[in-house]
Amino acid sequence: MRPQRTLSWRSSAARWAVPALLGLVVAGSRGATPTHAPVIAAPGVANPAHIAAGGRPPPGPVVQNPYRGEPAIAHAGATLFVSMHCSDCHADAAAGAVGPNLGDGRWRYGASDAAVFRSIYYGRPRGMPAFGGLLGAQGVWVLVTYLRSLPPPPDLPTERFTQH
Amino acid sequence: MPAGDYAATRYSPLDQIDVANAPRLHPVWSFSTGVLGGHEGQPLVVGDTMYVVTPWPNVLYAFDLGRPGYPLKWKYRPNVSRAAIGAACCDVVNRGAVYADGKIIYNLLDGHTVAVDAATGHPVWETKIASVADGETVTMAPLVIGDRVIVGASGGEFGIYGWIKGLDLATGRVVWTGHNLGPDAGMLIKAGEFHPPYVSGTELGVRSWANGTWKHGGGPVWGWISYDPKRDLLYYGTGNAGPYDAEQRGGDNRWTSSVLARRPEDGTLVWAYQFTPHDSWDYDATGAMVLADLTIGGKPVPALVHFDKNGFAYTLDRSTGRVLVAKPFTHETWAKSIDLATGRPVENPAMQTGDTKGNVKGICPSLEGGVSPASPPAYSPQTHLFYTSTNNFCMDYKVHQIAYIKGTPYMGVSSPYTPGPGGNLGAFIAWDAATGRVVWKDKEPYPSWSGALVTAGDVAFYGTLDGWFKAVDARTGKLLYRFKVGSGVVGAPIAFRGPDGRQYVAIYAGIGGDWALLAGDTSSDDPTDLRAPNPLVKNLASRTSQGGMVWIFGL
Ligand code: HEC
Repeated sequence: MRPQRTLSWRSSAARWAVPALLGLVVAGSRGATPTHAPVIAAPGVANPAHIAAGGRPPPGPVVQNPYRGEPAIAHAGATLFVSMHCSDCHADAAAGAVGPNLGDGRWRYGASDAAVFRSIYYGRPRGMPAFGGLLGAQGVWVLVTYLRSLPPPPDLPTERFTQH
Repeated sequence: MPAGDYAATRYSPLDQIDVANAPRLHPVWSFSTGVLGGHEGQPLVVGDTMYVVTPWPNVLYAFDLGRPGYPLKWKYRPNVSRAAIGAACCDVVNRGAVYADGKIIYNLLDGHTVAVDAATGHPVWETKIASVADGETVTMAPLVIGDRVIVGASGGEFGIYGWIKGLDLATGRVVWTGHNLGPDAGMLIKAGEFHPPYVSGTELGVRSWANGTWKHGGGPVWGWISYDPKRDLLYYGTGNAGPYDAEQRGGDNRWTSSVLARRPEDGTLVWAYQFTPHDSWDYDATGAMVLADLTIGGKPVPALVHFDKNGFAYTLDRSTGRVLVAKPFTHETWAKSIDLATGRPVENPAMQTGDTKGNVKGICPSLEGGVSPASPPAYSPQTHLFYTSTNNFCMDYKVHQIAYIKGTPYMGVSSPYTPGPGGNLGAFIAWDAATGRVVWKDKEPYPSWSGALVTAGDVAFYGTLDGWFKAVDARTGKLLYRFKVGSGVVGAPIAFRGPDGRQYVAIYAGIGGDWALLAGDTSSDDPTDLRAPNPLVKNLASRTSQGGMVWIFGL
């Protein structure tokens, strides 16, 4: 059963359907309710690419992905990526449309799980909606796990053209 | 005015540039706008000043055409929210400004209309007309009719409750808001004054949507407005219905994918006609409604001509909305014909889409349209022909059920494109709207996304996605002149007489619009966002990349 079918379009309130879906996705993929406690991120997570004045990066809370590397969660995240409309902005398989390509191994806001979490949880200024309120930390980590599982393409900085 | 006149003909009575001397055209000036988004729309020349609106962040430039090198008189930089970028379905475009009453009036992507003093560049008023949080952005070119400024919002991909508004020219105050769907009262339907040609009854905008789905049904206004002073009617097209899964919104879904005729003063809806009932292919009808007086079967007809995304060109009686001629102008597979008695398409059952239909293959045109509504046509009263860009590619279409989540797309579609027959992905054509036939056709290797211009010199102008500005003989289509303008053209050319008395033609270069999504590899400004080439237009990025330029050509 494709999880988006659990969203009843007759129900006007997506906000009820969404947590239900999330529970279903995570539970269904793992056969049980997750045991990891979700970790809430707070402002101050460092992006290692940022230049630190005086060479001192500001300390931030340690934020860890409770599902890191779990294939079943990544699989559930792929479904969530469609049902949360991520794919309508980032294209199928996150290849990039209105929002950037999320599978090219390159990140505007940093490559760490924490940075990707922040992008989804709090949103980003050029029109990336904040999904933390809708999905909670747990749901966002499911998505982070999916995005980080996309096979990193061989970095292809050169595009060659064959004319006909 | 964005289209040169109220009738939206994009015809210029200037004739200095003609078929004989057009091969001697050459660029006389160019200017980089400093902005990389898709440069749709057109410059606006008023007196000795040329005004240019850029894509987001919607800078307004005023060039002094009376001085050598056309230096800027001023530029106006509004503080437009960055958050609107993600809510714009198809790049952060703007389709141009309008002049009236000493003011330049245009829309900002983040849902505002601004009026700027045309002489000084100082803002006169600014009105919030749309809500980005609800998925509304504003890309259309406003039109001023009397003391009303007519504006609408994009957001057919975000589940908006589509509308058009009339603002007060002096103050910017919203005088009326007419929805394009939903209850009669919200649509500004008044008892005894609404006469759609093929249907009757009340609350059509509610009854044609299963389960109240009109509330997020789309029906945006992101194209062009035209106006007939004699009938005192303004005309505009509405966009697609949402979500893309048509089975989620049973019924005809009035009045999405339609043309609506209203009174400019108070917005009263006078008639409406739906091109694509129960839109199942994202066939917006936001393309221009061109008003022309034609002779059909020996009889003079006050016509309205519209090239629809669905691949048919319609010739309507603009007094009543009745269809007189409807014929395909490009390859299409979704309908056999349009039944003139009922006004309805005779649809191909194999091309119906929905979440129970699976992946439906070979639908032509694609959801990009047989022509993009962003590419307005032109009409010459001399040749009696219409000129338009066209596309020739198809799609597979697979939708899934989707829930409405405010602030995110309400789409749920996967729709890869495939080339249409004939080996060309686009063409620039001349069209006889009285009989519904192609008179000549200039094939283009890539989809043709530019607006058209035709002049009294019998020269038609357009640009190509791979960056050629072209002048062709309006009677034969023969290429007279071309020049590589640096980036693909998705804007529309204009002709004007300079302060020196000479005729010029101006056009934007700056690939974008849907091509910002479809050919993401034409972008190079973000090292963290690499896009694979689109198999449909594999080598496009070898011929063009992003970049906003204004060009002026002369003899
Ligand atoms: C309304 C369109 C839209 C939707 C829906 C959307 N995004 Fe985004 N996303 C964007 C845009 C635009 C950006 C770039 C924002 C910026 O740079 O400020 C972005 C950026 C991101 C980034 C940061 C990328 C980087 O390179 O650092 C991530 C991660 C991301 N989105 C994930 C998601 C996920 C997961 C979802 C679904 C829960 C989602 N997005 C839904 C438009 C969207």
